[in-house]
Amino acid sequence: MAAISPPAPADAPVVKPVRRRRRFLDGLYPYGYIAPSLAFMVVASFFPILFTIYMSMTNYSEAHDLNFSFIGLDNFVKIFTVFQPQAFLGVFEWTVIFAAVTTALNFGGGLVLAYLLNNENMWERNLYRTILIVPWALPGTIAILAWGGILQNFTGGGMINTILVNVFHVPSIPFLGDPFWARFSVLLVNFWLGYPFMMTACLGALQSIPPDVHEAAEIDGANGFQKFFRVTFPLLRTASLPLVIATFAYNLNNFGVVYLLTGGGPVTSVTAGATDILPTYTYSVAYTLHEWGLACAYGILIFFIIGTLSSINMRLSGAFQEVD
Amino acid sequence: MEPTSQGVAQALPAAAVGTPQAGRGLGWIRGRSRAKRRMRTGERVFLWSSRIIVWIVMFLILVPAVWVVGTSFQPGTYFTNTIFPTGFTLDHYRALFDPNLNVGFVTWIRNSVIVCTSVGVITVLLVATMAYAFSRFRFKGRKYGLMGLLLIQMFPAQMSFIAYQFLLNKIGLYDTLQGYTLVMIGGGLPFVAWLFKGYIDSLPRDLEEAAYVDGASKLQAYLRVILPLTRPMMAVVFLFTWFGLYSEYLVASFLLQNTSNYTMALGLHGFINSAFTQNWTDFAAAAVLGSLPLLIVFLSMQRFLVAGLSRGAVKG
Repeated sequence: MAAISPPAPADAPVVKPVRRRRRFLDGLYPYGYIAPSLAFMVVASFFPILFTIYMSMTNYSEAHDLNFSFIGLDNFVKIFTVFQPQAFLGVFEWTVIFAAVTTALNFGGGLVLAYLLNNENMWERNLYRTILIVPWALPGTIAILAWGGILQNFTGGGMINTILVNVFHVPSIPFLGDPFWARFSVLLVNFWLGYPFMMTACLGALQSIPPDVHEAAEIDGANGFQKFFRVTFPLLRTASLPLVIATFAYNLNNFGVVYLLTGGGPVTSVTAGATDILPTYTYSVAYTLHEWGLACAYGILIFFIIGTLSSINMRLSGAFQEVD
Repeated sequence: MEPTSQGVAQALPAAAVGTPQAGRGLGWIRGRSRAKRRMRTGERVFLWSSRIIVWIVMFLILVPAVWVVGTSFQPGTYFTNTIFPTGFTLDHYRALFDPNLNVGFVTWIRNSVIVCTSVGVITVLLVATMAYAFSRFRFKGRKYGLMGLLLIQMFPAQMSFIAYQFLLNKIGLYDTLQGYTLVMIGGGLPFVAWLFKGYIDSLPRDLEEAAYVDGASKLQAYLRVILPLTRPMMAVVFLFTWFGLYSEYLVASFLLQNTSNYTMALGLHGFINSAFTQNWTDFAAAAVLGSLPLLIVFLSMQRFLVAGLSRGAVKG
């Protein structure tokens, strides 16, 4: 603070009240910079979050649209006991599997590609990188919807199935209609969308490893595999752990890829489908069942799950020290 | 002696290592010893097997995209029955702009551009001022402010969609682009605030002190010295906000009901899901036109965008 205010001339006459007022105004000065953003966030973020918490404790729904009332924690109790607990557990299980497999696939694929591209002898590698980054550069929603067209069943005019039946004369594959294939498709599309980010991040991390390390390993007689698994990978691990956790947390909440591709289906129970993850399940509780209060309760649960993961991540990446 | 390339190459340490052969392409610019010397057999095998793997991956990744592009030129309404397109027509692109067919494509583009640009501009203005305060000043509540930002960032903004709907209904902004814009500004701020703060942290404080010595006021130091320097970060924040919002579906589907308010994401989803208009070739044309401008901007600025992201987000 002191360093920022301009130095007062040494022999200036000191007028006490003025100085005190200026000091008071100086103290307020930073708040002026924050006020506009704060106003926006209170209106558009804080208040809706508080309201969501409140609504999760009401019976707000289509049946009680105008006369909803406070019912305490009943919605949360309901989630685990009355309201399709089996469906919820199934959705929860698939959410975790989906996020874990996606993270593993995207990180693995991204890392391998980054490793191959991080080769000084490959003089045209920038061209490859630009081409491989294309899925990241496309608007996600449009790409997912187009994938929906590619994977449609034969009668729906799906691209792959049209080729399979008309050109190769083999039976079509129910990419979106069968629980196993639908899960496969969601993972496939999410890999297509997600690996470029991981590849870019890994490439950055790989390039930050000094070449001396590899030369030292080479002198010690390490072969290619040993160099990768004993030297490169351990060095990458510390740099990429926060990234991996962030990707995992992000995919727990990856509404778009599931909803726009399969809509959560194919349906396996009254409320849930085979590919439903927590956010899409919440969405259908709100959008098709019109149980708005209950949907808010699901939202709060998702917040706790993602919040826990994010705080672990921030501890690891040192964001909390930054605050002090 | 050859005019430039040899001369430059000799000035670089690479030339001292071994036979200074004419490097392939512009490889000599790097001046690394590796690019110069002859590869060993092992390196050559690794290089070529890497190339083949990368080619196969690129092929598999690009096939779906090329297929969609090909479909958009294919006559008829369905995908081709053959692997390669059998004809070429621009009818599907014309159909998107045909007022008689009432596809709504122009409306979606207009709405998306309005919303994304307003949110982008307002976000940049807000975040540039807020991040400056968090980076440069120590004040009461700073710690709680930063913690609060982290906390809001953890709360999936999209999970408040029911509250948004309810509250916007109360103030009469439900089903309006203004209401949607307002909601999306609040949701995106915390993440970019950390990004921007990280960027300002990396600017030396001496810059402002030099300005004070020259007689600048605090506000002048901020507006004339710091703000111009953050222009690259402003561009990164603007573009990421723009791109992210362009794909936003969840909140939009709750808040925008009238088809005249549809954004690109809503419009295309409706386009493909209404059974009687299921028309893959028209959809493909819309998908190509709807993503091509973004693709070009992203690819031409990829280094800049990636550098901006990693430079600002060193922490968390």
